[in-house]
Order: sequence, then C-alpha cells, then structure tokens
Amino acid sequence: MHPYLIAQRPPSRLTRRAATLLPWLLLAFCGASFAIGDAQTPSSGAWGYLQKQFYPDGNIGLLDESYMSLEAPANTPDPAATPLTLRFGDAAVGHIKQIRVIIDNNPSPVAATFDVTSGARVAEIDMRVRVDRFTSVRAIAQTTDGKLEMRSTWVNASGGCSAPPSAAAAGMLGDIRFRPSPDAKSMLISIRHPNNSGFQIDPRSGEPIPPHYVSHLRLSTGGRTLLEADTGISLSENPTLRIASDQPLPAPVTVDIDDSKDAHFNASWRGAVAESAATNTAGAGGTR
Amino acid sequence: MFVHLGQQLALDAPGHDDIANIGFIVGAKCVAVIDTGGSMRIGRALRAAIRQRTRLPICYVVNTHVHVDHVLGNAAFDQDRPSFIGHWALAAAMARSRDFFLQHYADDLEQPPSAAQIIAPDRLVAQTLELDLGGRRLSLRAWPTAHTDCDLTVLDDQSRTLWTGDLLFRDRLPALDGSASGWLAVIDQLARLQVRRTVPGHGPVTVDLASALNAERRYLRALIEGVHDELAQGGSMQDAIAHVAAAEKPKWLLWDSTHPHNVARVYEQMEWE
Repeated sequence: MHPYLIAQRPPSRLTRRAATLLPWLLLAFCGASFAIGDAQTPSSGAWGYLQKQFYPDGNIGLLDESYMSLEAPANTPDPAATPLTLRFGDAAVGHIKQIRVIIDNNPSPVAATFDVTSGARVAEIDMRVRVDRFTSVRAIAQTTDGKLEMRSTWVNASGGCSAPPSAAAAGMLGDIRFRPSPDAKSMLISIRHPNNSGFQIDPRSGEPIPPHYVSHLRLSTGGRTLLEADTGISLSENPTLRIASDQPLPAPVTVDIDDSKDAHFNASWRGAVAESAATNTAGAGGTR
Repeated sequence: MFVHLGQQLALDAPGHDDIANIGFIVGAKCVAVIDTGGSMRIGRALRAAIRQRTRLPICYVVNTHVHVDHVLGNAAFDQDRPSFIGHWALAAAMARSRDFFLQHYADDLEQPPSAAQIIAPDRLVAQTLELDLGGRRLSLRAWPTAHTDCDLTVLDDQSRTLWTGDLLFRDRLPALDGSASGWLAVIDQLARLQVRRTVPGHGPVTVDLASALNAERRYLRALIEGVHDELAQGGSMQDAIAHVAAAEKPKWLLWDSTHPHNVARVYEQMEWE
C-alpha cells in the first residue's frame, strides 16, 4: 500500500525527504478472491414436497407470461422486505381462484395463500417478504376452471428471517394505512405489525423473539369480500399489500386482520369524497 | 497525514475489501489511524505503510462508522495495543453486525475467522473528543443518525483537514443506512465548517467541501421527494425503486447495487410518517 501524503507538519528536513519518496499513484492490490460459492446454485428446496402436498396430480403450466408474471428485484433492496409483484393479464383477470406464494428455501416456505372471490377482478398483488437465503420464489395460480399456472424467479438475498427488528418497528400495533392510486384502481395497505419470524434475536437482551405474525387477512371492497389470505412468518415487518384491479375499487375498502396471538384489527377507507367530507366536518367543528 | 484511496467497486466485487478511503496522521509522539479497510489484508498493508514511515507508536485507531469496508482491518493493529475509538453508538452497532460480518466476509478475516477479530471501540465519543498526537491535535465529533447511526468525523486542526467518513461520498452513489433527512441536516452543518481539505469516505480528496456536499444533498433530496410522491399515489416499493430519483442515475457510480436499497430504506421509514 502506498498512501499518499495530503498534509504534513510544518516541513522539517526529514518529512520533506519522506514526501518526495512517496509515490502519488496507488498500487492496485492483486490476487483478491471472492466467491459467493454454492449459495448461488439454484436449489428446489421445499418445492418437491410442497408440490406433492398441494398439487399432487397437478399439470402446471409454465409458458404463458402474458397470463401471469412474478417480479422481484435483481438486487434485493432489503432481504427482510423483498418486494414481489404478481400481475395478471387480461385473460386471467376475473378467472383466478387461488394464488399460493412459495419461497423455497425459507424455514416456512408458504408465504401466503390468497383465495380470490369468484369473479373478483384482481389484476395485481404486491407484497414484501423475508428471504432467508438465496432461493427460488414461485407463485402458483389456480384458475376458476381448475387449471394451474406457475411463475418463478430467483432472489439473491439472505438473512431476511433473522434480521433484527428495524427502527421503524415502533408505533401502534394494528395501525393500518390506506393509500389509493389517483384513479382508485389500486390500494396500498400498510399494516403496523412486527411480524416476528421466530428467528430473530432481540439486539438489546440477546434473547430470541418469539414468532408473532399476521396469520389471516380479509380484504373487502364495496361491502363484498375481494380476497382472503392465509399468511405467515415470511411476510416482512410492517406487512404491506397492494391490490390493483382493472376498474376502480369501490369504497369502503375494509381490511380485517387476525394475528398469531389471536388479536384482531380492522380498518376501513371510505373513499376520497367521504375522507375529505370527514376532514371538512372536523375543520368546521374546530372553528365553532 | 497520509490517505489511501479505495477503489469504486461494489461490496461483492473482487477487491471489495479495498473500497474505502483510509489513512493515518503522524504527530510528534503518536500515530492515529483513521479506518482500517475491509479485510485483515488491507489492515496489514496499512500498518506496513505506517511502519515504512515512522517508528512512533500507533496510539489510536479511529473508526468513522460500522461498515465492513472501514472496520475489518482493525485486528491488524491489535498488536500495537492502541485505543480503538468510535461514536457512542458504534459498539452496539458492531455487536449487531458481528454475525453478518462473520457470515458474509469470513474470507476477509484471518483464517479461521473468529468474532474476536471484529474489534469494537474501547473509547466512545459522546459528542466531541480531542486527541493529542504530540504537537498535533485531532478533533473528533459524533453526529446524529445520518449515513448510519454511528457517524464520526475527524478534523486535523493543524492542516484543517476533515475526514468525513461516509458522511461524504464523491462519485460513488451514497449508501443510506441511517436517515435521509438526518443526513441532510448533518450535510448542512458540515457545509459550514471552515476546512482547507476534505477526505471523503469514498472518492477523491477535495479542497471544496461545500461543493462536494451539493451532489450528495441533491440526491438525498430527490430520494425523499420521490418516495413522498410515490407514497402519495399509493405506489409500491417496486414502483418507487423504478421511478424515484431516476434523473440522478447518470451522475453516480454503482447505482444499480445501491439505489434500490436506498429507496427501500426511505420508503419503509416514510410509510409511517
């Protein structure tokens, strides 16, 4: 290593001589080796036995990308909150009965099972998941006429299940926020919940944190159930769900949540008009 | 005062242990090391470079924050029995990171890897601390959460040279592991410092600190404003990663390996603000 001099003591003969001897160019280090190694080799993990369990005689289609797609970022921004996006093409919207999301190499591979109400026009589902180690992530959709379609993607991430709770983990358990898109065709739902995986350590006490997660949620729009989901420890801390349709989602949008400690939370979004009316009412009340 | 400039490489590229700017300052009685590089190999090379220039004792090893590329060479200086110095939150941050370093950077430690090689500070800076190297004074300052929760700067009073650690990135895209708004607040304070020369955590040395901070400030503001707008429209994290601050992309190195992480960090925080 040849660090270069950028400031020196008031020059003495010795340091002046030293400075002239210092090369200003840096010598590159050679021979560095780095290998991610076996972790990058795809492994089917749990898929083999899960396929036997859930789809024992299933003939699973793999070809039609326009029917359904599954996206995850190539560079995971956060192993404990890796975003997944499921999109359904025109031919699929209104014809999906169930979607199961499986993270092969996670300790609890089934991240979520969505049961969609018959005929409900779900065009997109976004969620954030924990990824424990390099893995395939797959989504298997069952259509209303009984066919199966699968998409999978590879996620380079590790440590998401044991990542310590983040600073954003504070706040009120069960707080739910709704963020509709301007055209009301999508709704982003953020749920304040630690969703502890059971593989985390409390950084202060050094003790394991017991699992505590959102186990079930029901989403209703316009007074009708749109979908229900069984969920588990693979959802990220402060789970989010974004649902999009090809038509505006009718208010009220209501979420009912059960967690693994049998707590229940629910909240409703009553629509842009009702929201601004409520604000107006409160404002008027304040001036009286 | 000597600096070795790290290479602008990703954290998983060959040579990833040599990406941070590191160096040392020599007084009349003592040497202070500022950051030790991302491996035992780099730490040893730095120690050898010091020993080529002076026999004075290495009294202090200062770590500017917890990141692997700045601390993993600490153990190369254990034999000198220096005082290891860091921000008051650095000890806890290193305890949190120890398993991660062992899992992901085992090859960069002395074999076999051990937790004992990951050396945490024995002296913590609550707000400021002055070190006397013998006729040469260093002023250390601990900052509120910005790039990380344990950022520390070192000012050599004699030459008015500021070592920012990763509070300043040049050319390489800033990596956010703390708070974007907190970082902007610290940038405003740094920009007011009267210094003659600045050694950033990554990128070339500069004589114009205020200008160097501008690029970083512009990116962090774009990040915050972009995520705010994305959330206001009910956009997902994926949407935010695709859209936020996209105009900044051609202005920085290593965008693809760092920007998605930054967006995710800000998104997760702003979701509940």
